[in-house]
Amino acid sequence: MSPPHPTFLTGVKAACTGDPGTPFVLLGNFEVEDEWARDEVGLPTVGGRASAAIVNRMDEFTVLLAGPDDHVVLKSAPDPDYLHWLAGLGVDLPRILVTDSHDPAATVSVDALRSPRLLAALGDLAARGAYLLPHGMSTLEEQLCALTGLAPALPPVPVVKAVNSKIYSRRVAADLGLPQATGWECETVEEFAAAAAQAARSVAAGRRVGVKDAYGVSGKGIVVVDDPRRLDQLVRMVTRRAERTGDPRVALVIEEWADKALDLNYHFTVGRDGAVRFDFVKEALTENGVHKGHRIPARISAAHAGQIMAAADRLGARLAADGFHGVVGVDAITTTDGGLLPVLEINARNNMSTYQTTLQERFMGADTIATARQYDLTLTGPVRFADLRDQLGELLFDPARGSGLLVNNFATVNAAAPDTDDPRPYAGRLYGLLMAASEQELADLDRAIVATVKKEPAHV
Amino acid sequence: MTTTQTADPQVVSAIVAALAEVLGQDLTDVTEQTRLFDDLSLDSTSVLGLLMALEDALDMQVDPEGLEQSHLETVGSLAAFITESR
Repeated sequence: MSPPHPTFLTGVKAACTGDPGTPFVLLGNFEVEDEWARDEVGLPTVGGRASAAIVNRMDEFTVLLAGPDDHVVLKSAPDPDYLHWLAGLGVDLPRILVTDSHDPAATVSVDALRSPRLLAALGDLAARGAYLLPHGMSTLEEQLCALTGLAPALPPVPVVKAVNSKIYSRRVAADLGLPQATGWECETVEEFAAAAAQAARSVAAGRRVGVKDAYGVSGKGIVVVDDPRRLDQLVRMVTRRAERTGDPRVALVIEEWADKALDLNYHFTVGRDGAVRFDFVKEALTENGVHKGHRIPARISAAHAGQIMAAADRLGARLAADGFHGVVGVDAITTTDGGLLPVLEINARNNMSTYQTTLQERFMGADTIATARQYDLTLTGPVRFADLRDQLGELLFDPARGSGLLVNNFATVNAAAPDTDDPRPYAGRLYGLLMAASEQELADLDRAIVATVKKEPAHV
Repeated sequence: MTTTQTADPQVVSAIVAALAEVLGQDLTDVTEQTRLFDDLSLDSTSVLGLLMALEDALDMQVDPEGLEQSHLETVGSLAAFITESR
């Protein structure tokens, strides 16, 4: 195990650079999977993604992970009242750099690469020894390092991409003898057709199977199948595409759906020296397979917690042997028969849970329980943080009381606001860490917040 | 954008039934102007299931890669795409 460090982030700095005092530049390039998937053949792609504008503003999560000696790069400056409120809670804010321009459809990395003024500022930080810690490392962040001289905190892209494939997750779990759902890894259309035929027997026997893109974003790029005809259809679609393109490759996984009791996410940090630090396990809250938040602490047995720590140690050692260093989150489940499947997928990048660590260290006491969650909003115009603050009032986090909602991303609230005077409603997302001293208080707070944000906040 | 043309009622009703299947809920008040992502909260993951359900209902083959974002704007724009693909 690595020597202990005073905070999660200093431990990451030591693991990735050898020095716990290294200044970081953090970049929240969420859904980096889209970059890894660029040269891969997954499920047939259908249209674009409507929520891209919101996902791209998840970049603001970095503000609450970075320390006061770090910089973060954002697509636009945070609402000043939001920063003022955070500072009032006692949060040591990092220094904030903003891209020269902001295209809602582009990730923060794409905007950054188009920003000469920002690139010059990053060059100055590189000269002072700063490292770039992106959400996940793709060719875009490598370009950013090359253009600015920033040292990458993470390994080269081919290593990072390889260990993020769901095909890799399944093969490593099999190599290490870790239990996993029955499934098939498919790298050609022929393998996919053969696997689908076997999976069809599982479906005919009453089980459900998931067909997953090997490089799909967690919870997306999955088709859940409970009718054998659907598998035939998928095989036909994938075969037709291969015939048209002349490319027989695919990167897909088919897995039987286990009877889940709880979703879990655990996290460890792999050092350049191969040392593995276990960080935490949290309960993951999902809806239809899509991530909705976390519950801290996870309601699991000591035996399961022990098995998870042992799995983390072995997975970390394997990732280190395969050339990876950095933070790793693994999705796992407990099953209704009391079992544990410790590897559903390996995400060798920052996870949503990563961004809560600094807040947990700062604000959660030994008896605090918390849920990290998102509130989906329906809006007809931009909302100011001051309006939201006034509306939520006592429901917001109060350090003296130790309970309430700590908003940890405000940019996603207004991210999808249309440019024009389109009167139709649009979606916003409010993310926060909800803390309380008891289950009852937590549930009451949550209900009160849901009821409050349903009434649309006042507009600018 | 809303579609101005009137789509084939059989295709529209197949789309509404397929949407109800993939979203797992009864749909009322759906018109050609209803937006798939903004009004019905369809996500990109469900679109492939939607197309497969439409293939079944209309006994046809859909080329998912021929779909563009604009085709998925509203029930009407998807109906126009499907009608053209038949």
